[in-house]
Amino acid sequence: MLRLFHLAFLLLLLATGGPGVVHAAPVKTAQVEAELVSEKTAFVPGQPTTVALRLKMADGWHTYWQNPGDSGLPTTITWTLPPDMAVGPIQWPAPHALPVGPLVNFGYEGEVLLPIEMQVPADAVPGTTRTLNAKAEWLVCRETCIPEEAVLQLVLPVAERADVYPQWGSAIAATRAALPVPAKGWLFEAKGEGNKVIVTATAPAGAPAPGNVHFFPFQEGRIEPAGKQTFVRDANGTFVLTLPVAYQLAADFKRVSGVLTASKGLAVGDGLIAATTIDVPLTGAVVAGPKPVDASVAAATFAAPKPAAESLSLWLAIVFAFVGGVVLNLMPCVFPVLSLKVLSLSTPGHEDVRRLRMEGLAFGAGVVVTFVALAGLLLAFRAAGEQVGWGFQLQSPAVVSALALLFFVLALNLSGAFEFTLLVPSSAAGWNARNPYVNAALSGVLAVVIASPCTAPFMGAAMGFALAQPAALTLMVFVALGLGMAMPFVLLTWFPGWRRMLPKPGAWMERMKQFLAFPLYATVAWLVWVLGAQVDNDAVVRLLVTLVVLAFALWAWRAYRGGGGRAWSAAGIAGFVAAVYVVSPLFGPTTDKDLPTPQARTTIGAIDLWQPYTPAKLDELTAAGKPVFVDFTAAWCVTCQVNKRLVLNDAGIKDEFARRGVQLVRADWTRRDPAITRALAGFGRQGVPVYVLYRPGKEPMLLPEVLQKQTVLDALATL
Amino acid sequence: MKFAATLRALPLVLALAAMGAAAAPGGLAPDFTGTDTSGKAVRLSDYKGKFVVLEWTNPECPFVRKHYDSQNMQGLQKEFGAKDVVWLAINSTNKSSSEFKTGAQMDAWLKTNGAAPKATLIDASSETGRAYSAKTTPHMFVVDPSGKIVYGGAIDDKRSANPADTKTANNYVRAALNESMAGKPVTVASTTPYGCSVKY
Repeated sequence: MLRLFHLAFLLLLLATGGPGVVHAAPVKTAQVEAELVSEKTAFVPGQPTTVALRLKMADGWHTYWQNPGDSGLPTTITWTLPPDMAVGPIQWPAPHALPVGPLVNFGYEGEVLLPIEMQVPADAVPGTTRTLNAKAEWLVCRETCIPEEAVLQLVLPVAERADVYPQWGSAIAATRAALPVPAKGWLFEAKGEGNKVIVTATAPAGAPAPGNVHFFPFQEGRIEPAGKQTFVRDANGTFVLTLPVAYQLAADFKRVSGVLTASKGLAVGDGLIAATTIDVPLTGAVVAGPKPVDASVAAATFAAPKPAAESLSLWLAIVFAFVGGVVLNLMPCVFPVLSLKVLSLSTPGHEDVRRLRMEGLAFGAGVVVTFVALAGLLLAFRAAGEQVGWGFQLQSPAVVSALALLFFVLALNLSGAFEFTLLVPSSAAGWNARNPYVNAALSGVLAVVIASPCTAPFMGAAMGFALAQPAALTLMVFVALGLGMAMPFVLLTWFPGWRRMLPKPGAWMERMKQFLAFPLYATVAWLVWVLGAQVDNDAVVRLLVTLVVLAFALWAWRAYRGGGGRAWSAAGIAGFVAAVYVVSPLFGPTTDKDLPTPQARTTIGAIDLWQPYTPAKLDELTAAGKPVFVDFTAAWCVTCQVNKRLVLNDAGIKDEFARRGVQLVRADWTRRDPAITRALAGFGRQGVPVYVLYRPGKEPMLLPEVLQKQTVLDALATL
Repeated sequence: MKFAATLRALPLVLALAAMGAAAAPGGLAPDFTGTDTSGKAVRLSDYKGKFVVLEWTNPECPFVRKHYDSQNMQGLQKEFGAKDVVWLAINSTNKSSSEFKTGAQMDAWLKTNGAAPKATLIDASSETGRAYSAKTTPHMFVVDPSGKIVYGGAIDDKRSANPADTKTANNYVRAALNESMAGKPVTVASTTPYGCSVKY
């Protein structure tokens, strides 16, 4: 009988694996079930064994990772162990991002096994047991947070060999296999750019895309937990992960270290791993990122205010373009030449009203066709990938020089230094008179060319809308612009009754013509200044010398045509050739290439409070919560210069800026700058001026193109 | 002439330089208008010229309870209230949260615990919380008389929910106030706060 009993007892012992595994029942709180479990049924002397803290959270509740994220506490274990045992730290499985309103925590939901490695020394005696006592403390949260703790125990024997622990052994092995490890064959590099960290990941050849990834930093104060991370593949097949820098930035952010999870896994060798650790140095410099709690607002703040273009319907854009065109007639570039053209209508030779009207229409046609052609050119450039906007033609020193020469020649003509007929062979001299309509159309073309530096109110919004539309709609808006610009002149030719009110043509007309040369000379002076702003002083001298030589050449040619000898024609031709020679480097590739505007134009003596625009600088200033006023301007934009001199440089306005602590940023678009072009496009604008007031906590405010002091003061009052 | 122009510009430049980064430690404290528990408007700028402590609180949070059950927070409030420091307790829990407290409820809870803030603000619209990017309860800010945030972050260095830890922890708020009041620079100006998340 006893034998049977012993046998049963032995069998029972064998079934439970010898001097057995003993562990206390799991500790249950309202939200969490906690227990200590093991991978193996025994400790093998000299070999590591993985033990795990098992936490099962009720639905909707979570516990935290080693970096809890925006709030929370990581789980901790305090061990009381036999003195000869070695214990390692918690080996954290890859966490999940758990949003809590606008904040983000890093942790685990459902059930998690936290593996810990333990080891008994090689001289441990098989048959003895080891008792593991642990106090586990964790924070479990759903909406409310509850700090909890549990006293747990696990007893394991020491044996020569160990079996897989029932129920949990394979789960622990799987957890251990899935722990984040460095990904062999992948190369990670981290570079700081402004308030972002750019991590480039070069995959091994043939690696499939990892799907959605998320980076969890090990330390706080480096990467903002709730910030948006973007992950793209660039043209070379490298993956680029953009991480937002923390708002409250730690001083010693020198390395980017954390866990990267990938929904489709990272290819390593023949298999895939779901999560990898990254630990690389951070090159470059970073600045603190924007406030995370404002994330929903920040998206609107930093992306742009709702572009005005979106809220424009096609018909409204057409109306705006038309009105803008009409107003263009009054802009400083256009007014002198156009007013002369109008005055010329009252000279003899324009009595035939029908012919007059046809000339007016021809002029209008010239204007519209030129605008359409300019639009076509702009669209072609953009299709070719160039970042251009309205006024793009003036970002090129070549165009500015050409315009300066053109205006100069026009001005000389008005001054009476020469007639255009001088430049054409005598056989073609009567061509103007014979082809009045072509002449009118060409003057329309000229009008658009000289109008191009100016934008008018309403034009900006219409242009922005137009250039974001399909080509056909763009051209419709530009046609409306042309019609608007031509309308006043066409009306004046259609109803010539006003001419009766003018005094009879006489000397006054000649004097008026000579007088109007001076605004054109002034335009030349301005274009020369623009060139200096775009390039350097040497280019200015070059252009000025060209103008002098050109004037000489025209004078010599006039003398020749006025009956002078061969010598004069030779002098004239030599002058023209010299002019071409002197000016040609300005049209050359070295001067004309895409250079950013030289910034060395700060005023001497006083401190220039305007900081040059870069996207990083703007992010930095707005992230710091300061109001920022951005002036998108260009040297060739007359409206911009007028606004600058009359309003932005006004002492009262400057004081108000200073009083409110407004940071002043100038985006100089004198030369082509793709970053500024993109920024303008973000506001639905394709040209300058654009004035934006970034207001902390509010939407950015766009000011009108024609600035008035009161407008600026009113805008500042909304801060 | 140039010198005079530079002289005139200098205070402006220094003022601009001093502004630094707002709402992060080292920057200017954003002004706000909040409603206290009796419905009265309270502005930060009302207290310009004094030290102000902003304490983000939530009676339902175990970490806040840690500091109130141990009398740690009340102790600080009384110690520095006596030194003319303005203590503002701010609850940014949103109205639809189960943890939302009305003005009357906050008053009752503070009275039960013997708390003594100068004013308690119910920030239901979470405007003030967002302005300071308050992440946890508690999250502490110390503002000096000139309006600069001289400390922002955790209340102390023992990140736990155990009330006993307040006795042995290094209290950053006390240190910042003492150093700042003595005219010394604050040694620890910024730490990562710990606690429950603010229920926006």
